[in-house]
Amino acid sequence: MTHTSLPWGVSLVCAAALAWFPAPQAAAQDIPGALTVITEQFDTLNDASKALAAAACDAPDFRARYDAAFDAFVAVSHVGFGPTQTDDRFFALGFWPDTRGVTQKQLMALIAARDTIADDPERFAKSSIAGRGFYALDWLIVANDGDADYRCALTHAITADIARMTADLVAEWPDHRAEMLSGAGAYTGEDDALRALYTALTTGLQFTAEARLGRPLGTFDRPRPRRAEARRTGRSLRNVAQSLVGLEALAATLSDGDAEVAAAFAEARDLAGGLADDPVFAGVATPGGRFRVEVLQQSVARIRVMIQQGLGPQLGITEGFNRLDGD
Amino acid sequence: MGVGRSAGRGARLGRRGFLAGLLAAGGAPQVGWAALGMPAFVSGARLSDGATVISGVSAAGDILFDIPTPARCHAGAAHPRRAEIVVFARRPGTFAQVIACESGDVRQELSAPLGHHFYGHGAFSSDGTRLFTTENHIEGGGGRVGVWDVGAGYRRLGSFATGGIGPHEILRGPGDVLIVANGGIRTHPDRGREKLNLDTMAPSIAYLDPGGKLLEEVALMPDMHQLSLRHIAVTQGGTLAVGGQWQGDPWDPPPMVWTHRRGGPLAPVAGARSLGTYVGSVAWSDGETAIAATAPRAGVALMLDPEAGAVWRAAMDDICGVAPRPGGVLFTTGTGVVLPVGRGAGPRRELARQWDNHVTAIPCAG
Repeated sequence: MTHTSLPWGVSLVCAAALAWFPAPQAAAQDIPGALTVITEQFDTLNDASKALAAAACDAPDFRARYDAAFDAFVAVSHVGFGPTQTDDRFFALGFWPDTRGVTQKQLMALIAARDTIADDPERFAKSSIAGRGFYALDWLIVANDGDADYRCALTHAITADIARMTADLVAEWPDHRAEMLSGAGAYTGEDDALRALYTALTTGLQFTAEARLGRPLGTFDRPRPRRAEARRTGRSLRNVAQSLVGLEALAATLSDGDAEVAAAFAEARDLAGGLADDPVFAGVATPGGRFRVEVLQQSVARIRVMIQQGLGPQLGITEGFNRLDGD
Repeated sequence: MGVGRSAGRGARLGRRGFLAGLLAAGGAPQVGWAALGMPAFVSGARLSDGATVISGVSAAGDILFDIPTPARCHAGAAHPRRAEIVVFARRPGTFAQVIACESGDVRQELSAPLGHHFYGHGAFSSDGTRLFTTENHIEGGGGRVGVWDVGAGYRRLGSFATGGIGPHEILRGPGDVLIVANGGIRTHPDRGREKLNLDTMAPSIAYLDPGGKLLEEVALMPDMHQLSLRHIAVTQGGTLAVGGQWQGDPWDPPPMVWTHRRGGPLAPVAGARSLGTYVGSVAWSDGETAIAATAPRAGVALMLDPEAGAVWRAAMDDICGVAPRPGGVLFTTGTGVVLPVGRGAGPRRELARQWDNHVTAIPCAG
């Protein structure tokens, strides 16, 4: 989505963005601070995943542990570099959107066959990413297919696999973090680490606006409420809110605690809070409900434009030469 | 873009300087690659004043020459024996330049025949007597391979069908079999670079004999028909690496890198999800053990073991060009970076220019 396609006035956005435009000599992107935020988020994810894997599927607090771990994942899911990419780890933790319904197909096939993969962690770890991670749990937790014992075994296979991946992530992260701080390894250029953080922030905002909110919105003539994220366990709005929590923490470090950026996030947070009566965006099918989700989407999109116009030029990031080439 | 901020001015020799150096060294016409200051690579570039050039680059990343071009170029093809490269206009351009590297002169200008335009890639036959170019038959929309007689001064001999729409990269594989990535996307110069058939696009990889006979064609499953297969690299043994560009839901892309062997299906390469939805170039590393794939939009380059997934990765803005070099590969970016990777790799260089999509290795050099 480009800002020109949005209904609100672009000039207004530019004015807001210009207010946050640190002079180059005052540039104080806090890379160590950003990496500390991410380190804490990874640790939270790993702790919550461990706690989830330790719970029996019929334990009374299983859902609470599931929600806590899913929250922690969504809050850091925008970090698309380093050990999140090893073995496509974050894609295996968060396979969504799933436009072809592969997750359901895969889990139903396992259940129908009572596949022994549920008791074989090594084989499970190598299986297709569509049948693993938090979105597989979203489907499985409320499923009635097959028998409960097998579903429980499969649930445990998924939670154990999640915990294995987050443990590996946390183990590999310190080396990568050191490379980002020292400009080694994958980060040979002076701005490479900062660019990676910038890309994580802007792509994360884009994903929340276009996928988390945009997919259920569909078009005015054809709203798609059933496309809402993690709808089966009622987490669609919650995921939007959690993503904003994680993105705000990163944005604060990269914008040097800028007040305009903080205010923009506060506005989005308030708008999300105002949707508490529509946790899975079912309201997009009505004009009034749709309007409220659209306003939130525009608010998130506006933060992205603000970041792009404020930080992008400082990093020398413009339209790109090969990036926009289309060949 | 960062070019204006680039620190290094580079060791760019003007053409005059290059020529003077050659004369001093007793340069003469009809020399082979080995007699030169040995450009190991050629690539199109845009200079900071906006001029477009084709540059010869040494193994160490020094600029040996810059030859002006009428417009932005895309990729080059090195003649297998002569010190001669052909550089193709970016689509929908209609010019190609035959550049004699012993003089830096444009030896010849090729024009796509009336009603055709180039797609930016071409390949020579192994004996160097034929040049093959991917082209669009504009009115019919069918992909064509243009055939040129090198010995007769690049005389146009004719063309044959690629078996698909929107052919992009073309390679010469083992046994002089031509391999064409039919990207599947129909465009028309009157509509700029607009994509006209995304709902019905049907990309494929076609193997053709030099006379145009379709030997084999392979496609993806129907639910992946919007993955435009555009860039390819082949080992001496005939294993093809394919990089795609996804035109479907941007948040749910299929695997972007595939391998293929004649007679089999396309096989996805795991561990490459961080490339996002758009692969700019692929190359086999020296030794043909890993596929290097670039993603200028994601700002990521990967080295992929076809069995084990990513074995190396870099975060680099606008990274796109990649070519094999002894000991590994060499990457170029739209921000001016030249990054050799692997055994014996020299330091990263940053030059005040924007490297265009593809860097071409000169096979006989180095």
